[in-house]
Amino acid sequence: MKLLDKYNRISLLITVLVIIITGFIYYFTISYVLTDQVDQDLKVEEQEIFDYVKANHQLPQVFKSESLKIEFKDIGSDTVQRLFVNTQYQDEKEHDLESGRGLISWVAVSGVNYQIKIVESKVETEDLIRLIFIITLGIIVLLIVVLMVINRLVIRNLWQPFYEMLRQIKLFNLTDKHGITTLTTGIDEFQDMNEEISAMSARVKQDYQELKSFVENAAHELMTPIAVMNSKLDTFIQTGNLNEDQGSLISDMYGTMSKLTRLNKVMLLLTKIENKLINDQEPLDLKEAVQTACNEFQEMAANKALSLDTHLSDVTVVMSKMLLDILLNNILSNAIRHNSPGGMVVIQLDSNALTVKNTGGSEALDATTIFQRFQKSPESDGSGLGLTLVNQICENYGLGLSYDYINGFHAFTIYFKAALK
Amino acid sequence: MKLLVVEDEAGLRDSIRGYFTEAGNICETVSDYPAALQKINLYRYDCIILDITLPNGNGLDILQSLKHNRHPDGVLIVSARNSLDDRLTGLDLGADDYLTKPFHLSELRARVVAIVRRKSFDGNHKVIYNEIEMDLQAMTIAVGDQPVKLTRREYALLLYFIVNKGKVVSKNALVEHIWGDGMDMADNFDFIYSHIKNIRKKLIDAGGRDYIQSTYGMGYKFSDK
Repeated sequence: MKLLDKYNRISLLITVLVIIITGFIYYFTISYVLTDQVDQDLKVEEQEIFDYVKANHQLPQVFKSESLKIEFKDIGSDTVQRLFVNTQYQDEKEHDLESGRGLISWVAVSGVNYQIKIVESKVETEDLIRLIFIITLGIIVLLIVVLMVINRLVIRNLWQPFYEMLRQIKLFNLTDKHGITTLTTGIDEFQDMNEEISAMSARVKQDYQELKSFVENAAHELMTPIAVMNSKLDTFIQTGNLNEDQGSLISDMYGTMSKLTRLNKVMLLLTKIENKLINDQEPLDLKEAVQTACNEFQEMAANKALSLDTHLSDVTVVMSKMLLDILLNNILSNAIRHNSPGGMVVIQLDSNALTVKNTGGSEALDATTIFQRFQKSPESDGSGLGLTLVNQICENYGLGLSYDYINGFHAFTIYFKAALK
Repeated sequence: MKLLVVEDEAGLRDSIRGYFTEAGNICETVSDYPAALQKINLYRYDCIILDITLPNGNGLDILQSLKHNRHPDGVLIVSARNSLDDRLTGLDLGADDYLTKPFHLSELRARVVAIVRRKSFDGNHKVIYNEIEMDLQAMTIAVGDQPVKLTRREYALLLYFIVNKGKVVSKNALVEHIWGDGMDMADNFDFIYSHIKNIRKKLIDAGGRDYIQSTYGMGYKFSDK
């Protein structure tokens, strides 16, 4: 539940509750005051009767009145308790019962006691109370509406910086150039949070950049010593008089050197691709590129007696030629190197995807880890960065990449529209 | 060939000088920017092997100075930075070629020789080694009067051998020359072997001598001795 909704719910509930309680208090207070008022009227009537009896020594004439009724009853020598009662009032005109307030008292006229019953209709009082109830209800509705509006407009507006920040955090990407910008809000809490987040993102970015440039510099710096070693080896083999054993040692050294070089170069390339430093994009004929790459690998495939099966249609992609070549070379060389002798490589290219399928190991690879750095099969003598490179290139151009194991084929598929995946 | 090596790394500088110094070649070396600038203002070279990251200066400035003075020297840039920008800037400024460290000396030599050949005034596009004659323009080979048909890769290998005649060339250098360094080496050694077998056979069939010697199982040497 959103903070705003939660807050709204609580505040509305409390408001309604408070208003209802106030309504009750209001009701009781007003009805008490009004009843008191009626009682005063009744007392005045009673006094008038007493005054009349005192002056004239007889009961006063009873007139019909709109909202007042006076009754006398002969009670002989008895007396009654003087008291106020809630009773019914019979309306003469409308012949219906209304609630009324009565005063029961007695008076002695020439030695005979009479009970006096004065009843006043409370219909006006009730009308008043009804009015008060309606007004209270109106206030509740009005308040709810006003609160809603305030919440929608004001509070939403107040939280705007928060949502803006949240949007930026969601978009935050370590590798791109955009940081989290500092917003100017009039609210201290948000201002603090925003400044902290902004500073933190800048710090994280800087650390990441430093780490990357360290990797890049380290790889660069390694190139010169490797170059020196390489050149010394080249010079050493010119000296002559080596035997076969020494020759094979040197051969191993060459092999290791080239592995080291390749590892270094791939690391540099990865950093460069991640930093999006390679942006010489151009429209490329993918069909032609695949064919060229296939030709390059013809010998390797023939050496393993692999059958190369291609189904290509015309597709144009916009990317760097160098990266496309690296992509195809890695995928194809994997398909050939990890193949079993006499196996198959199937390359399918249509407007949706490029699929390279190959026979080989009889078990599916772990699709979650194969694209990670330095993941390789135990028998592979590759760098373990080939598929990472492929993955990174695909990511850079928004291409989808997936691995499946279908019917004994290891299939790597590059989707031209990642969305189609 | 008269060469100048501008390289701050002593080990590499000495190796290059050692590899290029032989009868008919002069190879001078300098290690920093001012010395290099002085040399190129005083002398002319067939090819300058230029490292672009130098102490006290940038190799690209040396290249600019050369071009500014309209000196015809060939320039081969060597750099540890395999960045496309550097490569393009270098070539835009008029460098003849660009080689990324680390490289094999045989590859360096092949590049240098190609530059020198292109720069030579007589437009010589023929490489002749005893009875073998390669026409680089027509991409043809003849042993004496007998034409020999080589595949693209065999042709490239033979040219590489002739340029590096008398030197031991490692299999790794050959693989890198033919397939680039993006490949895993081990897979390609067999192909090198079969290519060389084919070259040998074709040359001998055409009446040539067998110049390619396998050395210590780790490389080959093209030599008439």
